[in-house]
Amino acid sequence: MGEPQNRRDFLLTLGTGAGIAALGYQGAASLRSLVPNVSYDAPTTVKVGLPAEFPDGLKFLPDQRLFIFREGTVFHAISAVCTHLGCTVRAEALSNPEARTVDGKALRLTHRFLCPCHGSKYTGDGGNVSGPAPRPLAWYHLSLASDDGQLVVDLANEVGHDFRLTTA
Amino acid sequence: MSLPATTPRARAEAPGVHARRLWSLRPRSDRQSGDAIVSNFLLHWFPAKVERSSLDWSYSFWLGTVSAALLLLLVLSGGPLLFLYVPSVERAYGSVKDIEYAITFGSWIRAVHRFAAHLMVAAVFLHLVRVFLTGAYKNGVGQGQHREWNWVIGVVMLLLTLFLSFTGYLLPWDQLAFWAVTVGTNIASSIPWIGPSIRELLIGGRGIDQPTLIRFYALHVIVLPAALGALFAYHMWRVRKDGGLARADRASVLPAPVASPASTTKTYALLGVARGTSPAVRTTTLEAADATVNAVPDLTRRTAIVVLGTFAVLSIMAALMRSPLEEAANALVTPNPAKAPWYFLWLQEIVTDTTIRLGTFTINGAFLGGVLLPGVLVGLLTAWPWIDRSPGAAAGSWFPRTRRAQNLVFLGVVAVVLILTLVGTFMRGPYWHLYWPWETWPEIPTRL
Ligand code: FES
Repeated sequence: MGEPQNRRDFLLTLGTGAGIAALGYQGAASLRSLVPNVSYDAPTTVKVGLPAEFPDGLKFLPDQRLFIFREGTVFHAISAVCTHLGCTVRAEALSNPEARTVDGKALRLTHRFLCPCHGSKYTGDGGNVSGPAPRPLAWYHLSLASDDGQLVVDLANEVGHDFRLTTA
Repeated sequence: MSLPATTPRARAEAPGVHARRLWSLRPRSDRQSGDAIVSNFLLHWFPAKVERSSLDWSYSFWLGTVSAALLLLLVLSGGPLLFLYVPSVERAYGSVKDIEYAITFGSWIRAVHRFAAHLMVAAVFLHLVRVFLTGAYKNGVGQGQHREWNWVIGVVMLLLTLFLSFTGYLLPWDQLAFWAVTVGTNIASSIPWIGPSIRELLIGGRGIDQPTLIRFYALHVIVLPAALGALFAYHMWRVRKDGGLARADRASVLPAPVASPASTTKTYALLGVARGTSPAVRTTTLEAADATVNAVPDLTRRTAIVVLGTFAVLSIMAALMRSPLEEAANALVTPNPAKAPWYFLWLQEIVTDTTIRLGTFTINGAFLGGVLLPGVLVGLLTAWPWIDRSPGAAAGSWFPRTRRAQNLVFLGVVAVVLILTLVGTFMRGPYWHLYWPWETWPEIPTRL
């Protein structure tokens, strides 16, 4: 821009530039307004009931899309959300339960999980064995509420497949 | 003996003076049909004269006109639905149920809207196939043609049509809708890095809920129809600017147009198109008298037949067939099998088969099959007019020798899409297992 501009050109550039800047900013503002700052989703930490209320084996909690697995005093929680595209998997009871050691701990697999959307299959501990699912099902952190002793699941806290909650 | 100029008939024939205020269905002379065009706003879409061969039923199958008629029908039937449907998660399902079962003619209006949407996807797709196979995106002999851009606009309009159908699919808030949106938006979120933000923008939060419904509603009734309407207007204007169908240039290909030097004794301001310093004037024009007919009534009559025929077929279909309404949306139970609408089933089939594992490294099929592959296909479609190197004379006829290879490849891709759609429709049962169409599906194990 070594050339000296005359006033007309300068004002034209200025006006066009200001117009583009204004449109760009307004466009960006409109788009930004569509990204929520507050989300009124369900809380991620939920009490799901007293440990004694859970039967041995598998229980489905539809509201959390979660399976709670109980074996005597040992509990763990497996997500029912397929890792492929988010459908809810269904549990299918195995005719003869399979004993396994998962990460050094004994586990009795009574079920397997099947996805109705694209046919992914998971083992009873959530490992993906076939179909398009790229990852195993998530496990969530479980604890006991200090006030009333209910099981508390933390849906924001994913844990490894060796996680167990042992109640007294 | 009276002077011709004083008769009313002759006065009507004077240039710029129109015989009737309204458009004439029965023009009595070439002059009148020309005037009918000038005096009618709608008919600015139509030229005064059209190439006879481009009116052939078997050249274009009038698929673009059918698509446009369906779009018109969708707007017309969408009007009443706008008054009856309530975009709220508590009431959406109930209001659709009311439309279907309680409102006089409600189920018919909904059926018209629904079938027109499905048929429009099919018609627009077939229109694209026709334009590809006849190479109609290629420029011919006319000046200032940009058919390649009209093809690009067309591809965008196909995407808008699909997106319009898909956003409408969610509105009844039934099981089909809910899970289609779950899967659809999770495909968007499988894009590396920006995916999750795109999903959040689409559904307006982390879960599919009221913000999702209202977003899809606004897209369905305002944003996408407005975009489609604007592009449609441009698409039609472009067809007119490019001299009509590609077939029209074909007719004038043989006597090659010659540019004659501008004469100083005549003004060509309105006859030729200026290129460089002197106007180029074609000695062969598309309006050669023997090959052309008046748009009114030849083109308008056929257009009316196609539009009214489409309306009739749709009305009868809607009267005879019921449109389904599944159970109300239930975030807790996924239907088994959960199927996408038919026009996305080939993609559902692909996302099922494209998860790639290299040792411990996995790429989700959602990204490969749901984003990358469709992206590549759309990219190729868009760029094709610039990739296609066949001569211009190959435009405007079915299966010309010079375009045989590319037509075969294109038909191959179309066949794969169709086969995958059929597999998804008829051969996928519970848990997405493969069954032959004549096999019965096993009892679905009861869920926990
Ligand atoms: S969502 Fe489960 S397999 Fe696709």
